[in-house]
Amino acid sequence: MADAKPDISAVFAARVERYGGTLFGIVEEHKQFWKQIFQLAAADLVKTYRGSALGWLWALIKPSVTIFVYWFAFAIGLRASKSVNGFPFSLWLIAGILPWFYISEMLTQGTTTLKRYSYLVTKIKFPVSTIATFVSLSKFYVHLALSAIVIVIFIVFGYPVDVYYLQLPLYMALMFAFFTVWSMFAAPLSAISKDFANVVSSFVMAIFWMSGVMWDVNQIKIPWLSRLLLFNPVTFIATGYRNVFIYKRWFFQDSFALMAFGVTFTAMVLLTLFTYHRLRRDIADVL
Amino acid sequence: MTTEGTAPKADDIAIEFKNVSKRYKLYRSDKHRFLGIFSKRIGFKEVYANSHLSFTIKRGESVAAIGKNGAGKSTMLKMITGVVFPTTGQITVNGRVSALLELTAGFDPELTGRENITLRGQIWGLSKDAIAALEKEVVEFADIGDYMDQPMRTYSSGMKARVGFAISASINPEILVVDEALSVGDKAFREKCDRKIREIMEKENVTVIFVTHSRAAAESICNRGMVLEKGRLVFDGPIKEALDYYEGPRDPAVPTAGAAITDA
Repeated sequence: MADAKPDISAVFAARVERYGGTLFGIVEEHKQFWKQIFQLAAADLVKTYRGSALGWLWALIKPSVTIFVYWFAFAIGLRASKSVNGFPFSLWLIAGILPWFYISEMLTQGTTTLKRYSYLVTKIKFPVSTIATFVSLSKFYVHLALSAIVIVIFIVFGYPVDVYYLQLPLYMALMFAFFTVWSMFAAPLSAISKDFANVVSSFVMAIFWMSGVMWDVNQIKIPWLSRLLLFNPVTFIATGYRNVFIYKRWFFQDSFALMAFGVTFTAMVLLTLFTYHRLRRDIADVL
Repeated sequence: MTTEGTAPKADDIAIEFKNVSKRYKLYRSDKHRFLGIFSKRIGFKEVYANSHLSFTIKRGESVAAIGKNGAGKSTMLKMITGVVFPTTGQITVNGRVSALLELTAGFDPELTGRENITLRGQIWGLSKDAIAALEKEVVEFADIGDYMDQPMRTYSSGMKARVGFAISASINPEILVVDEALSVGDKAFREKCDRKIREIMEKENVTVIFVTHSRAAAESICNRGMVLEKGRLVFDGPIKEALDYYEGPRDPAVPTAGAAITDA
């Protein structure tokens, strides 16, 4: 076996063809189904907030309580509330935690989409890859609403919208793309293994505290560690939102952070193509 | 539809199976299944739900799939629908398939019956007007009154079957696949469904594939019967002969050779 080594370039070409085909298939499903994706996202949103007395308000109450709790613990409890770049601590906190609400939803619920929408997989012919997209879109709508509220809060506190806000859509798009791909990767795995879903949900808190949501990654005094942490997409996104609201920096000013995110994103896409290619045809058998 | 619909020929092929087999991998546990994604060394048992199925069904034919539980009928229907993929072999399906697989039939339990109709219409890519027409037709046929605006998780199995059948039948299918779902309805509703299926078949030259254990239902709707046994097609012919073959004077205690087959 060992002496009959296949030509490496031929193997590589075969891989490119296989996973390129998987990628093409996913893109094709989205192209044919883009209208339905928006409709299903709306239905998902309605479903999430219906049936409770306060309905839509829950999309606001949960983040407000979270922000208050962290503000209380840090500003009152730990007395760690120094102002940053002329902004009060509370606004610094809000700017970084804003994307986290979407991210945490995608880490937990984005992982179980196929289980919750199993009827689309096992009962009707449906482009399965789009399930991750419309669930992600539904969470993203909530994120857009929250972002609008945060912008209003900044204006009320006397910090008007400036030119740096122009890069907010970019960070939003990168976040949406990364975590939609994440859901495409994680949902088939968690459909097959309960362990996987449990691992993810138990690491959510760890990811929160290890990422630069509650602290500034640029304040870390060990250079290699702060660089390493930038490979974490959550850190990149949270820092990006603070670039917009607090630090007033352009995304291209930290080219290393951009490059690190690019590397992680590419790795995520490749990993997703690998698992999706292996599992697409088996998902209906195990759900 | 536009290209095929211009000159429908009676001898058009609706469904063709070429040496189709479906293998399910049984791992010792979910953990092994998970590891099996990444390593080929993880062992699993193979179970063939369908093996070497070859047949063609012409447009406008109505076929009953007959067989014991675990004979592979549901897997076959799921492969026609496109929900389950064959392990080996080739499947050609020409035309829009509308399937009623089991009771839940692809409903969101949290949405109301009416919302589920809309959702399904949207998934099919129908226009607003078409969805409104669909809703009217389904509400009329299902006839479950105020329950139409309640979440579907509150429905009885009979109500689900009514809505499910009504949607599948109202969506102008070219190929209608009906699993055993209808057996839960009461007699009046079953007769209504039978009438509807016949109406669809006559008017629109629709292909119907029907799973049933009831001789009367099979005979009244279908003209061809396919008997499956342990994943294999053991008889394919006129419905009367197929039913006779299935119910034939064979000793059920004698086990047939071959591996144990389970249905999905």
